[in-house]
Amino acid sequence: MLDELLAPKYLGWLIEGFGVTLLLSALVSVAATALGLALCLGRIAPSRLWSWPARAWLSVFRNTPLLVQLFFWYFGASALMPEGLLIWLNTPHHWDLALFGVRWPSFEYLAGFFGLTLYTAAFIAEEFRSGVRGVPAGQIAAAQALGFTPLQVWLNVVMPQAFRISLPPLLGQYMNAVKNSSLTMAIGLAELSYASRQVETETFKTFQAFGVATALYILTIIVIELAGQWLQRRRPAPGAAGA
Amino acid sequence: MTKPRNKLRLATLVALSLLSGLAQADRLDDIKKNGVLRVAAFDSNPPFGFIDPQTKQISGLDVDYAKELAARLGVKLELVPTNPANRIPLLTANKVDIVLANFTITEERAKQVNFSIPYFASGQQFIARKGTLSSPDQLGKLRIGVDKGTTNEIVLREKYPSATLVAYDDTPFAFTALRNGNVQAITQDGPKLIGLLANVPDKDKYEIPPFSISNDLIGAGLPKGETRLTEFVNTSLRELEASGKAQTIYDAWFGPDTKTPLTRIFRIGDK
Repeated sequence: MLDELLAPKYLGWLIEGFGVTLLLSALVSVAATALGLALCLGRIAPSRLWSWPARAWLSVFRNTPLLVQLFFWYFGASALMPEGLLIWLNTPHHWDLALFGVRWPSFEYLAGFFGLTLYTAAFIAEEFRSGVRGVPAGQIAAAQALGFTPLQVWLNVVMPQAFRISLPPLLGQYMNAVKNSSLTMAIGLAELSYASRQVETETFKTFQAFGVATALYILTIIVIELAGQWLQRRRPAPGAAGA
Repeated sequence: MTKPRNKLRLATLVALSLLSGLAQADRLDDIKKNGVLRVAAFDSNPPFGFIDPQTKQISGLDVDYAKELAARLGVKLELVPTNPANRIPLLTANKVDIVLANFTITEERAKQVNFSIPYFASGQQFIARKGTLSSPDQLGKLRIGVDKGTTNEIVLREKYPSATLVAYDDTPFAFTALRNGNVQAITQDGPKLIGLLANVPDKDKYEIPPFSISNDLIGAGLPKGETRLTEFVNTSLRELEASGKAQTIYDAWFGPDTKTPLTRIFRIGDK
């Protein structure tokens, strides 16, 4: 039975891949939330100067497969870059700061981060938009009647409620970001799925390799789920039970 | 193969082979007596064995060796097309005398068939931009593209743990990454790399440095226990190398004037 388990070396690979998955998904979630908010504002802006580019973005990134987008950023875009820049991006760089060193991420990491962020942001923007639309029109009218300026209406009335409404679907998008990060194995990023495939190749212990990876993904999703439940208990959405 | 006469001959051969276990009939004598050497070769694996579109005959590097062996025996050559999976069954069922079909020598296979000395080696090699890679010592410092799930990936990681490996779904993807500069070299079996490079528009920019980090040795497969036939093949191969004929055969398929020029690293008799 013992030789059915994975050797520590291979578990190490999986843990290392898991670390890459977690860091990548976290960075993508943060960046995509900021970008998604900006996109949402652009999309609902009354001026076409803002809303049309935002519409175009949403339709391009939501309506094409993520895998194709990743190939585009990794293989396609790099073919267009000037050679000097590409060489710089692909060479390991290291900066020693006062307390710790900063390592420049690999090009696979950059392309994966970039592609996933642009894709996830498009979905997050739409979650925000539905949150904004979920704020009752009466609230805005009431705020205006109370003499709030348009900016005050946005910052004090619409946004706080819109955030709460969009929190559950937003967490769903973060879960998607974790799961979608597995596609970056196609562009050679050594995240969890890549590591599990690598372990499988070397050990032929197919069930164990993919089993561990699956368990780690489930674990991550459960943690996000629990965090979401905790957040919602603390700040229930307007109209939800207890409000 | 389904002609009644062939079936009869097959049945006779099967019967004979059953007897041969008892009577120790020697295959080498049988071949000479029958005047036919039956060789299994690939029919769709250029340049080792494939149907030549002009002549409609099986030809290739393996076939050239088969022709040489038949000529040395003074018998007619009969080629039997095979795929990888049928190579051992053809030998054990006594349907062919020799398998010359890019047959990698492994311990597992050697339990079921005899192998000659290797006459070809398919080594794990690299493609890199011209002038960037000249010796295996440099590998440890490079980013190298590999094909997912191949032994190439495992071998490279074991031998050069400090190299950065980036695994792609297949060789064309890895090559695109090399062209884009994401990796500095890609690795695969030499003959596969040269086949890939042959179809690349800007192939002048790349080269396959003349070294390999592992060798799959290719030998002739022979029926288990046929010592005299095996000895005959071994002696013939050594003589073909000594006379320069082996080099001529190699050059016909991998020489500088071919579409797939690959420097010859392995020679018959090397270990």
